[in-house]
Amino acid sequence: MSNQPIVKLVDVNKSYGNVYALEDINLDFYPGEIVSLVGDNGAGKSTLTKIISGTEAPDTNGKIMVDNQVVNNWSSAKARARGIETVYQNRALSEQQSIYDNVFLGREITNRFGIINRKKEIEETESLMRKIGYTSKVWTPLSSVNKLSGGERQGVAISRAILFDSRLVILDEPTTAMALTEAAEVLEFVRNLKKSGKSVIFISHNPWDAHAVADRFVILERGKIVFDGPKGSMSADDFIALLHKFAKKDIKS
Amino acid sequence: MSKVKKGYVIPERFRPVLGAFMFFVLMMVIFIAAAPEVFLTVGIYTAIFLSLPLFAIMGLSLVFVTAAGEIDLAFPSIIPLAGLAFAWTLQQTNFNFALAALFCIAVGLACGLLNGYLVTKLGLSSLITTLGMNFALIGLTNVLNNGEVRTFSELNDSAVRSILVGSFGPIPAQMFWLAGIALVLGMLFHRHKFGLHVRVAGDNPEAGRAMGVNIERTKILCFVLVGVCAAIVGILGIYLNSTYFSTMGEGYLLPTLAAVFVGGTPVTGGKGTIGGLVIGAATVVFIQTGVVATGLDGYWTSLGFGVVIVLSLLGHRKFSGRLTR
Ligand SMILES: Nc1ncnc2c1ncn2[C@@H]1O[C@H](COP(=O)(O)OP(=O)(O)OP(=O)(O)O)[C@@H](O)[C@H]1O
Ligand SMILES: [Mg+2]
Repeated sequence: MSNQPIVKLVDVNKSYGNVYALEDINLDFYPGEIVSLVGDNGAGKSTLTKIISGTEAPDTNGKIMVDNQVVNNWSSAKARARGIETVYQNRALSEQQSIYDNVFLGREITNRFGIINRKKEIEETESLMRKIGYTSKVWTPLSSVNKLSGGERQGVAISRAILFDSRLVILDEPTTAMALTEAAEVLEFVRNLKKSGKSVIFISHNPWDAHAVADRFVILERGKIVFDGPKGSMSADDFIALLHKFAKKDIKS
Repeated sequence: MSKVKKGYVIPERFRPVLGAFMFFVLMMVIFIAAAPEVFLTVGIYTAIFLSLPLFAIMGLSLVFVTAAGEIDLAFPSIIPLAGLAFAWTLQQTNFNFALAALFCIAVGLACGLLNGYLVTKLGLSSLITTLGMNFALIGLTNVLNNGEVRTFSELNDSAVRSILVGSFGPIPAQMFWLAGIALVLGMLFHRHKFGLHVRVAGDNPEAGRAMGVNIERTKILCFVLVGVCAAIVGILGIYLNSTYFSTMGEGYLLPTLAAVFVGGTPVTGGKGTIGGLVIGAATVVFIQTGVVATGLDGYWTSLGFGVVIVLSLLGHRKFSGRLTR
């Protein structure tokens, strides 16, 4: 991918007590690219995304750069203001509220008295649902979230990212514990994110999912980057073989 | 992809109100059939309209707290404490209504703030905290009031009285106050972003926080609303009877809570209905007044409540799916 990275991590470390969750991480995330971030349990994937999204601070020596500028006192509010949006799996939605209420939660379109402009929110939600690839005709923006499948719920959370002009969307295990068709739906949502010009960091333990959506792979093991390269013509089998190679190395050392 | 069913389906958000309404109509029909000589006259409705607004205004605020996933049991003692502030100021200032009302509402607000603070900032259970506050505040009221009954015959034909609790034909003025307050709180709950944040606070506070919603502040404001509504009820109650007595909050707790649940607001939080509350309050007050008016012993009221609460919960469950658990 071309031009300057949205986010650049320079020598980032993160330790919890005497555990190194991340060691000497140097990574760039470019516009319009889906990066599949994979690695074993405890490899540091979630920690890495928390540092990018501002919910965890790295150890003092490392640098976070956004648009080639070093940022200080990085926080989740700042990250969001700079277009970095995280989709949390379980804490993302208020299930008893409608889809449109969830999409706009915390950033409601209101008049100056704070009364929600329902018509506008519903219209925008409708076009978002179409954009992100909702196939079910049953749901309208007024449907409450507790009726939706797991995949469709992810879709609601993901559609927020499109709405709020985010540039980099972080999805931490969005397909975990999902049936095949549901997961396929989420992958479609992710591809549509890219089509609307967003970059995506996609974390998954399912190598086929990770392979299917990726433009580039980053493999983390025990807090270190062991592979960072484009998908190119790599097949799913090649990718899985690669994963096995690093997992084996890990066991030996 | 599931198929769309043909035919008209009642939108989900209207079901609790409609359920409460159908239940109310059913109850009316039974009352009218049982005692037409009572329930086909205007008098009984005027009697109901006298006390309905007080229960309903109280209940409106409880919809917010309940939807926010909390409960408030302290309001029956906030009413007499704030009422005392009102009565005392009236006496001290030679009937300066504005000042008295201001002080009264300030006291209600402070009680609500304290409840909200204890529950959110200290993370205490609202059930236990407000139960304790209920005892503490009535105790404080009695200590301050020292058993006095303050009568205000001067209020009987004041202009403020006719504005607050006078009558327009067969309709008491407080009904209009109820209508106004219900309209404002209905907008706040169902249309304003605050109402959405309240419901999210009761459903999945983490989701709200992740989106930058201040859940703690939202909940505190719900308790404050209860305090303010209790103060308003205190003022109306004093004007209605031209008397202050420290037991004026008794008899509110159970009927008001019943009105919330009969109205279709689930105890589990995350949802609520203002329209339903008004119907629920009407149901409850109807039983209270109606049972006595039919000549039955007052003891039957409680039995009536019990039956109505259980039946209406069953009805809401049938009607609105997983609304009530
Ligand atoms: N708050 C914390 N306190 C202490 N240790 C932590 C904390 N968060 C993460 N860790 C540790 O840091 C390491 C990396 O954790 P992380 O959650 O980033 O892994 P992960 O790659 O997301 O794993 P998984 O695939 O299981 O989600 C683990 O050893 C974990 O135990
Ligand atoms: Mg993780």
